[in-house]
Amino acid sequence: MKQSEFFTSRWGLILSTLGIAIGTGNIWRFSRIVAQNGGGSFLIPWVIFLLIWSLPLIITEFAIGKYSRLGPTGAIAKTAGRSFGWMGAFIAFVSTAIMFYYSVVSGWCIRYFVSAFTGDLFNTSDHLVYWENFSSSYLPVLYHMIAMLIGAVVVYRGIVNGVEKANKVLVSSLLVILFMLLFRAVTLPNAIEGIKYFFTPKLDYLLNYKVWLNALTQNAWDTGAGWGLILTYAVYMKRKEDISLNAAMIGFGNNSISLIAGITIFSTVFSLSTVDAMSSITQSGPANTGLTFIYLPLLFSKISGSLFINTIFASMFFLALSFAATTSLISMIELATRTLIDYGLKRTKALYIVAITGFLLGLPSAVNMNFFINQDWVWGVGLILSGAFISFAVIKFGPEKLRTQVINGPGCDLKIGKWYNYLITYVIPLEVIVLLTWWLVSSTSWDPEWWNPFHAENAGTCFLQWGIVLTLFIIFNKKIVNKILED
Amino acid sequence: MEIEAIFTFAVVGSIVWGGFTFFLSKAIKCERNKNSSE
Repeated sequence: MKQSEFFTSRWGLILSTLGIAIGTGNIWRFSRIVAQNGGGSFLIPWVIFLLIWSLPLIITEFAIGKYSRLGPTGAIAKTAGRSFGWMGAFIAFVSTAIMFYYSVVSGWCIRYFVSAFTGDLFNTSDHLVYWENFSSSYLPVLYHMIAMLIGAVVVYRGIVNGVEKANKVLVSSLLVILFMLLFRAVTLPNAIEGIKYFFTPKLDYLLNYKVWLNALTQNAWDTGAGWGLILTYAVYMKRKEDISLNAAMIGFGNNSISLIAGITIFSTVFSLSTVDAMSSITQSGPANTGLTFIYLPLLFSKISGSLFINTIFASMFFLALSFAATTSLISMIELATRTLIDYGLKRTKALYIVAITGFLLGLPSAVNMNFFINQDWVWGVGLILSGAFISFAVIKFGPEKLRTQVINGPGCDLKIGKWYNYLITYVIPLEVIVLLTWWLVSSTSWDPEWWNPFHAENAGTCFLQWGIVLTLFIIFNKKIVNKILED
Repeated sequence: MEIEAIFTFAVVGSIVWGGFTFFLSKAIKCERNKNSSE
């Protein structure tokens, strides 16, 4: 299938790809993980893994997508060989499975924006009860539908008129809002204590291997590297579009936003918390919702004596969160749609299937928090396998060939050296092995029945669900790959 | 405590924000050159 639609400019591509990377993980997950891992001690390995995990994988995704002009399944089959198309199908499935419940999360963000904007959020003094009332009602289903509908409408309009235009508006607005929130947060009394904690390293934490592993996981999560999403947008890059310079801007840009969000949240929490700022910031709550949906609304109500100002601050925060979630959701819907287009479906038909299936398969996560937690666990860890499969595809294709012919090929503004070959061939596979082993071994320590596939968060449930999906894709590999590559 | 925080802020900030600014300015220059050569 000949590619006919392309991002109109470099900035359109960058803002859209930044939209993938900047998600709720930058705002709520990053701050919590920093607090749990010794503040400034965490930031050092976090920066190192930006350089040795996120950047090489972002470069690789751009390169494979631009080279193959196909979604993950076809792209992996074209680079690693036809026998390995199932790996690409798994990458596509993992991101699609995440889309099912990420749409629910996007719905929560939209709902909390509406609540904050209408003042309803400040009509309660117990935000835990407020959250429980919301999550046990029919509203998460309604807002899940709204989120999926918004994402589908954007993707329906195509790459230029939909994805690119929406991301230009949403990502730019998100950046403006974040800077306004940052300014307000750092000017709050006692905000400096939060900033101090955020940047002060503790040597004992720095020597703890878990801090390093969490830094790697956070990078894998919040840059979107290894998900197949950047690969999908790269399909729509112009032939003479640069790869490495754009990839560097995405990686560094994403982590810049995380730092800004971290300073904002730490300043706010340390300034306004009357009890114990640290226990508040590290609390997870159901499905890691504690800080964002339970504790921050309480803090927003204390920002000033004026209900109007508090409402504006809370509305802006949840609007930024909604924008961040929506831009990531759009990319997941586009990935699933692109996969079906590669399989021979028309764009509109493919999108209808993705939107309706996405809504239906997201319903269990919208109504049952245990199901949500299970899916978040299984497919979140599954992303590590996705990263491994992308790295494997490059090794099979030839890192030197990919580097010289594609990455440093037509349109290149920043040539990259042989360090890329070593990182993608040795360092990333090693990171995958260490990370995966750690995840699975540590999961056995918190669940004695680690093998039981019907527990929400353990190794057994991952093995069962990955096993089913991988088995099906391996069995039907030939059929899937032939259909995509023949088209 | 404060000196350590300032040091980490300077190192992490200069790598992350400095890196982004560096690559962004390089991209702007490249785009200007491409536009002027067209």
